[in-house]
Amino acid sequence: MLRIGVIGTGAIAGVHLSAWHQMPGVELVGYYDLAKEAAERAAQRYGGQVFGSLDALLAAVDLVDICTPGTAHKANVLAAAAAGRAIVCEKPLARHLADAVEMVEYCERQGVPLFPAQVVRFFPMYKRVKQAIDAGTLGRPMVYRSARCGSFPRPGRDFSAPYYADFNQSGGVVLDVAVHDIDFARWCCGEVERVFARGLTFSGRPFQDHALITLRFVSGAIGHIEASWSHPRTTFTTRVEIAGDQGLAEWDSQDRPPLLVELYDEVQGYRRSGSNPTAAVDEPYYAELAHFVEVIEGRAAPLVTARDGLEAVRVALAAIESMRAGKPVAMQEFGG
Amino acid sequence: MNSQTVRVGFLGVAHMHSVSYAQNLLAMAGVEVVGMWDRSPELAAQWASRLAVPHFASAEALLAAGLDAVVVCSENCYHRPLVEEAAGRVGAILCEKPIATTAADARAMIQRCADTQTRLQIAFPVRFAPAVVELKQQLDAGLLGEVWTVNCTNHGSMPGGWFVDPALAGGGAVLDHTVHVIDVLRWLWGVEVTEVYAEIGDSLLHPGLGIDDVGLLSFTLSNGIYGTLDTSWSRPKSYLIWGDVKLEILGERGAVHADTLHQYITLASDAAGRTAWAGFGSDMDRGLMVDFVDMVRSGREPSISGADGLAALAVALAAYASSASGQPVQVEKMV
Repeated sequence: MLRIGVIGTGAIAGVHLSAWHQMPGVELVGYYDLAKEAAERAAQRYGGQVFGSLDALLAAVDLVDICTPGTAHKANVLAAAAAGRAIVCEKPLARHLADAVEMVEYCERQGVPLFPAQVVRFFPMYKRVKQAIDAGTLGRPMVYRSARCGSFPRPGRDFSAPYYADFNQSGGVVLDVAVHDIDFARWCCGEVERVFARGLTFSGRPFQDHALITLRFVSGAIGHIEASWSHPRTTFTTRVEIAGDQGLAEWDSQDRPPLLVELYDEVQGYRRSGSNPTAAVDEPYYAELAHFVEVIEGRAAPLVTARDGLEAVRVALAAIESMRAGKPVAMQEFGG
Repeated sequence: MNSQTVRVGFLGVAHMHSVSYAQNLLAMAGVEVVGMWDRSPELAAQWASRLAVPHFASAEALLAAGLDAVVVCSENCYHRPLVEEAAGRVGAILCEKPIATTAADARAMIQRCADTQTRLQIAFPVRFAPAVVELKQQLDAGLLGEVWTVNCTNHGSMPGGWFVDPALAGGGAVLDHTVHVIDVLRWLWGVEVTEVYAEIGDSLLHPGLGIDDVGLLSFTLSNGIYGTLDTSWSRPKSYLIWGDVKLEILGERGAVHADTLHQYITLASDAAGRTAWAGFGSDMDRGLMVDFVDMVRSGREPSISGADGLAALAVALAAYASSASGQPVQVEKMV
């Protein structure tokens, strides 16, 4: 029975907790959060105890799942690694490259697994695209294109909204959102050679952020990633398209979903919603965390490593630097 | 039996679902696929070798190996003799749909299983498609208020082989594709189909086929809902995907468009010379097999019974009767 402790019990922790709660063979031991009432809510809903200190949690668990804002990742990873615990850390690993490098290298020295939660690799439609590449259906993947577009994390509503709104803490939409697509692009097309990006990050518009990132891969492939916190409120869309020399794979979240509901009443007017459900074990966050458990227990090879999480951060930071400088950034020379 | 390995044998593997069922069983902890038998030794040997499981020279030899459960995936007409042979020798049987080719066969199978305390489950995997599970939850929660009508399709590609041999299959597209959707409708609302009118055509899309390849059923349910179902093998080889299971449900508050299996990426392949949809949805056969093994282990009653299989079959038989007579047919007369 693998004992799980969760550090940080905000928004993203909700989906992790639901997954841990359902998973056989693990025990959700408890929580540590600076905001104690959030940890208490988690304990009420999913069982387990609220720990009064990080050390107390580390003493009681085998794996720590770090779901804090990115600014707190480093301290928690270093503490958990010092205690010899396996670690799941939400993306991005860190705000600054030197911190991410220190985290990854320290975990390696300690012999502690560090799993970056690059969850897109576990979304079934993205997995199916990767499977088509691995099966050779596309030939050599040469033009990558993906997008992840939503609205700005609403100021004043979410606990962590001030974090997202502060570029110095969050790194904006590129480090928080594009990092997903950067990781998936690397999984499909290999290492990135250079990056050029334009966007709203430095435009001085409060609560707006958007980026169009252009990539060249070492393989010669080219890639394009759109990441947005400036799309109309309540919308969130993703899409991916990869063209190879022998085929093409594409998916768009605006494609027809298996369940589409249209309702009307005089109070709320017309409402339309779609749903794309999976079996519980295929839900991406469940599949991701279950995979990490399998790796820890020696039943699977890791689909994503700490080095992948580190490189995704490095490419994202290079995109930010390109946006700032108005110049392409060569990855070989980029050190944050 | 909870901690023991569940030993499963396959009697008949002529239906291609047997491969998916076996693969799912092989992936589950505490389940052993003891072996496969088919009246075609070549077919049994071929699937068994592909799945790396033993094959047996006779059904008797496989049953004698000591099984907890049997999966019957033979041609439709052999469901009855194989279920009857296995009944009393195993605790549980999973029989591929349709349960049989005649109501008399289905009744005999249900009776024999009851007499021998053998639990008979019919393979209706669509109940385990996540979109269908969610659809039922939403309808149960009153999403649409009073429901008036349901417009359904279960299109497919013409399967060929024994599926188009009337003696082995018992019917074509109407038998093949009526039962899935009818089972879902019966399960969604806990109802029976009361009356069926049908327009059916033989060899309309596949000249010379010699069996029905298109069909439209117009029906009423015992809760007053009326609906239609297109069972046609109308997806050509050049189409994007093999077929569909769609339910468009309309009620006083709105509509649900359930294209239940529509979870696809679009995949163009020069090697294949076409663009197709490739599925990423959860495997509903896995859900079916997990449920079946749980039933075998726990001793509980099957979630989908022989009576469910007979009720769905009766609707298909009513459709053929209606097509022959040109008149609506009361389904209860077919049971």
